[in-house]
Amino acid sequence: MKRLRMVVLFAITAVFLLAWAFPILWSVLNSFKTDRDALAYPPKLLFEPTLDAYRDVLFGSGSIIPNLVSSMIISVGTTIVTMALAIPAAYALARLRFYGKKFTGFYMLATQMLPPVGIIIPYYMVLRNIGWIDTYQGIILIYLSFSLPFAIWLLVSYFEDIPYEMEEAAYLDGASRMRTLWRIIIPQVRGGIAVTVVFVFLNAWNEFLFAVVLSGNTVRPVTIAMFNFVSVEQTLWAKLAAVSVLAMLPVVILGIVAQKHIVKGLTVGAVKGGGRR
Amino acid sequence: MNARGQVIFKDIWKKHGEFVALKDVSFEINPGEFFALLGPSGSGKSTTLRILAGLDAPTSGRVLIDGNDVTGVDAADRDVAMVFQSYALYPHMTVAENISFPLEMAKVPKSEIAAAVFDAARKVKIEHLLDRRPGQLSGGQQQRCALARAIVRKARLFLLDEPLSNLDAKLRLETRVELKKLQRSLDVTAVYVTHDQEEAMTLADRMAVFMAGEIQQIGTPAEVFAKPNSIDIAGFIGNPPMNLVNAKYSDGDIILGGQRFKTAVQITGSRDVIAGIRPSAIRIGADGLKSRVDLVEHLGDTAVLDLDIGGALMRVRVGDENVPKEGDTVSISARPQDFHLFDPETRKRLV
Repeated sequence: MKRLRMVVLFAITAVFLLAWAFPILWSVLNSFKTDRDALAYPPKLLFEPTLDAYRDVLFGSGSIIPNLVSSMIISVGTTIVTMALAIPAAYALARLRFYGKKFTGFYMLATQMLPPVGIIIPYYMVLRNIGWIDTYQGIILIYLSFSLPFAIWLLVSYFEDIPYEMEEAAYLDGASRMRTLWRIIIPQVRGGIAVTVVFVFLNAWNEFLFAVVLSGNTVRPVTIAMFNFVSVEQTLWAKLAAVSVLAMLPVVILGIVAQKHIVKGLTVGAVKGGGRR
Repeated sequence: MNARGQVIFKDIWKKHGEFVALKDVSFEINPGEFFALLGPSGSGKSTTLRILAGLDAPTSGRVLIDGNDVTGVDAADRDVAMVFQSYALYPHMTVAENISFPLEMAKVPKSEIAAAVFDAARKVKIEHLLDRRPGQLSGGQQQRCALARAIVRKARLFLLDEPLSNLDAKLRLETRVELKKLQRSLDVTAVYVTHDQEEAMTLADRMAVFMAGEIQQIGTPAEVFAKPNSIDIAGFIGNPPMNLVNAKYSDGDIILGGQRFKTAVQITGSRDVIAGIRPSAIRIGADGLKSRVDLVEHLGDTAVLDLDIGGALMRVRVGDENVPKEGDTVSISARPQDFHLFDPETRKRLV
């Protein structure tokens, strides 16, 4: 009985895993093929791997390196500004009582419910009027309008988990509010900060809809550049796959790096007696 | 004697909207004193401590420490150390880092910190645990770590908010003794909040008893025990607390359950009173008020009897010899000086 359950569980998991992993595997495989092999039907599982596609997209005439840099500037910029503003804001929302706190919390959630398509035109007009179309500050500003409420909303619960008494203890130990935030509170919400950084970076890195409208020739993230390889006449599958894999790498690396901190953050919170009221 | 750590609370009120948490609280703590704030939960003792610490601001009134008005001064600038009920240790720091934190904040030179940390840890016997994190310590060790963090910086006031309540009974008794010795050896002023009258009685030089946001009595534990100011204090202090029964007063006598007893209290005229008698002051003998033993609680070297005196409960503490049995009838009496009389209307003590 127990064994049967394990088998069924395993089978279900395998199906989900396969469905999830297939596009990635397919991309990785195709990125090592020639364009011809990539188009072959039935798909070839055995083929001679080549780095041609990578060489072309990186060092060919239409190199995507500037686009990767572009994406990196946008994503890192968005993440830094978001965190710099979200951490104090989330702390304030978790701790301080101020007029309109409830409304602020609702507003932050509400921004996440708006369909992006609905506000893309107003955003375009605003940016055009201040001359920020196709600029980094323009894109980052627009991304902030989504990532900031999201990051604050995510961080608030982490801050709320820290007993207020711990903060009071720090004040009595002679620490100022800023010192307390920096030395006592933030180290304990490391896990939450790591999670938030990953999500904010990921959203900025993967964003397409706004980028396509608000960017141009100067600022051209990799999500847009990818479409160079899709045209009316043909789709260069191998190159497209190679770009996809390259675009995935930073996110994967960030995930691996952050994972350590996420786990660490979780164990700190779980320590017996340490975080209890 | 230490000259630091004098506290004056002057006409402190604390209101949360309509709710009055503290009603005109005033007291003075002398330098070097172990001062307990005793009272049931919600009586205002913790609020008083928080106002003294600077964590809460009073609605009105003044707080003075060593003659300086600190009412508007931040907690960080009051030079006051505190041990929290939950200990509030910093879980991401080691024991040594926890203890050194107040020194770092006070900008003590790095070269002096290590020695001071070790010294404080040694005083509370956790010097072998300095590299651990709070999560790796037992409850008792965490409590000691919190103590060390409070004593490492020679603050002028040492505040303790129910520091023993999270320890098991045996450890609590041991720590209680050590706490007293520690306070004596450091020669600091300690303000100690507790709901446990036994803790306050054993530790405090003087104590303030809180009831419903007011201080009802200030005095040494012996004074409060011997002469409780009100019915509420009489019913709170002592284990078991004082018996309080309706009685009549007339010409130097108490009429209780139809029996007349002599009392040392002299008031004019006849009136209704509430008579208080400590369980240990009641004598069982040949004469006195007849009453039936409802229940016997054996406590080892003593026993507590629940007596029925005409429908009212009277508890009596007796030695372990010749303990009456349940269902027995005994005669009880008390010496004249052992009667405490209270006004049933004002609930205050009658001289």
